[in-house]
Amino acid sequence: MRRLMYEMRRALQSPPRHPRLAVVVGRLLGAAFLVCFGTGLYSHFLQNPIPGMVFPTSPVVLYSWTQGIHVAAGIACFPLLLGKLYVVYPRLFVFPPVRGPIDLVERASIAVFVAASIVQIVTGLLNTYEWYPWPFPFRQVHYALAYVIVGSLVIHIGFKLPLIAEYWTKHRTADEEGQPLPVMETEGEDAGALRDTVAPGDAPRGLTGRVLRWIDATPDAEPRVSRRAFFATTVGVAAGVVALTAGQSFRVLAPLNAFAPRTMGIGPNRGLPVNRTAAAARITEDLVGDGWRLAVRGRDGVDRLFSYDQLLAMPQHGVDLPIACVEGWSQMATWRGVRLKELLAAVGRRPGEGARITSMEVRGSSRRSEMSAQFIDDDRTLVALRLNGDVLDMDHGYPARIIAPARPGALQTKWLGTIEVTRS
Amino acid sequence: MTRTMRTWRIVLVLAGIAVALLGAWIMVDTVAWKKILGLATWLAAAVIVHDAIIAPGVFAVDLAMRRIAGRRVPTGVIAIVQSGIVVGSVFTLVVVPEIVSQNVGKATGTLLTPDYGMRLGVMWIVVAALTALALVLYRVIRRRQKVLPSDDQD
Repeated sequence: MRRLMYEMRRALQSPPRHPRLAVVVGRLLGAAFLVCFGTGLYSHFLQNPIPGMVFPTSPVVLYSWTQGIHVAAGIACFPLLLGKLYVVYPRLFVFPPVRGPIDLVERASIAVFVAASIVQIVTGLLNTYEWYPWPFPFRQVHYALAYVIVGSLVIHIGFKLPLIAEYWTKHRTADEEGQPLPVMETEGEDAGALRDTVAPGDAPRGLTGRVLRWIDATPDAEPRVSRRAFFATTVGVAAGVVALTAGQSFRVLAPLNAFAPRTMGIGPNRGLPVNRTAAAARITEDLVGDGWRLAVRGRDGVDRLFSYDQLLAMPQHGVDLPIACVEGWSQMATWRGVRLKELLAAVGRRPGEGARITSMEVRGSSRRSEMSAQFIDDDRTLVALRLNGDVLDMDHGYPARIIAPARPGALQTKWLGTIEVTRS
Repeated sequence: MTRTMRTWRIVLVLAGIAVALLGAWIMVDTVAWKKILGLATWLAAAVIVHDAIIAPGVFAVDLAMRRIAGRRVPTGVIAIVQSGIVVGSVFTLVVVPEIVSQNVGKATGTLLTPDYGMRLGVMWIVVAALTALALVLYRVIRRRQKVLPSDDQD
């Protein structure tokens, strides 16, 4: 078996399968994962804040940038992860697979990292397509797996630290003639010892031997060309998939947007996309007709009901704020409506108090949102009645919705029913 | 290995184990066991699909190309063709689920609106054209490199 595994690794040798490339591609992949992790945590805590957390309300595009970067970096992970796995694939056939308890931790961390990373980027991508063909809840698993991935990545970096340090810069990657060393010459394990102890006539026989001889007879690639082409392709595809999808989040790339699930400029109210439609939320014409009232409740038992006309009669303010979805797309829009803090002042809200905002939709994760004081106190946070110059479309939350700066779209509650002042 | 390196390795491995365990705890705390078993099947499937299908498939294609053309054409030519195949394949990997989603996912009227199949086809044509262009450029550059040394001798 040891011999077979050795032959497998030997057969799989190719110039890009070299520790230097493992380090170079690994750096890019590690950076992409850390960007995803950081931006993902920001999005998570915006939606599930720990008491005492404070979030900035400026710049207004902050969340559309962080989440746009989150999704773009996640898509870039496809070529980077595949490239990294290509480089280190022969390591799968190291024999014996585990040499002791510490080796077990290292091998297990790699297995966990590979499996969790693939599932994470695949389910993350499909989430942007709003397709959920798996038997587990996306949000909770995406969040928990993020820690598992970063943890196993840090373990992996810890174990590989000497190798990373050795190959961080270019030296030690080529032989005297400047040709890159193949991976097995440099990993210093059983390869050299095994090669020395195996007699030339002791080659595998039967089908295995024939396959290996066939592979051996195949012309080798020229190392330098092969390695450069591999790296250029990996980085090029990563840049390409980002360039052709990030136009759903960043206006400057919108003309290149060929493959993102969202396209800027498609949707009601002069081209603003919609995530949850009125039909999906079961909002009917009857619910939002003349009888509609917005209930606003203070903490001292002061309750007010506002009709649509009463809201229109209050001072109206205009702001330019993006809708920025957790799925990565975003688009700037012009909103007009009543300042939330002025509405809440009518029920005696005190400084520092927050609000719980409830939609008329009966179920759904975006039915209710909590808003902390810093968002309420921002002049740009509105109960919006108009969008891009027109009355809100039903799919955009008619008769009234919340719009606030630097917040995820899921918290910009539509089809408002009730706003209650809360302690914080 | 220096003492500093050894210390860093211990710190990183222990910190990594702590963060991974935090993730496992969050998982157990927020996801039902039955669903975690469902996740386990996906994790196992992910490894099998990569290690037993994609990786050997890529190896076989690379080997076949070198076997068929390796003696006659330079590595650079094979590498350029392989790069084109990889670019197209990664885009296909990302876009095919998108095409499937158009039929099975949520329809909001503003999600997944373009004809991605047509765009993917155009993308393959563009990649093929760029690959051909790169091959022509490669040939021109190789010829010049071969000619230049004799020029120097004149």
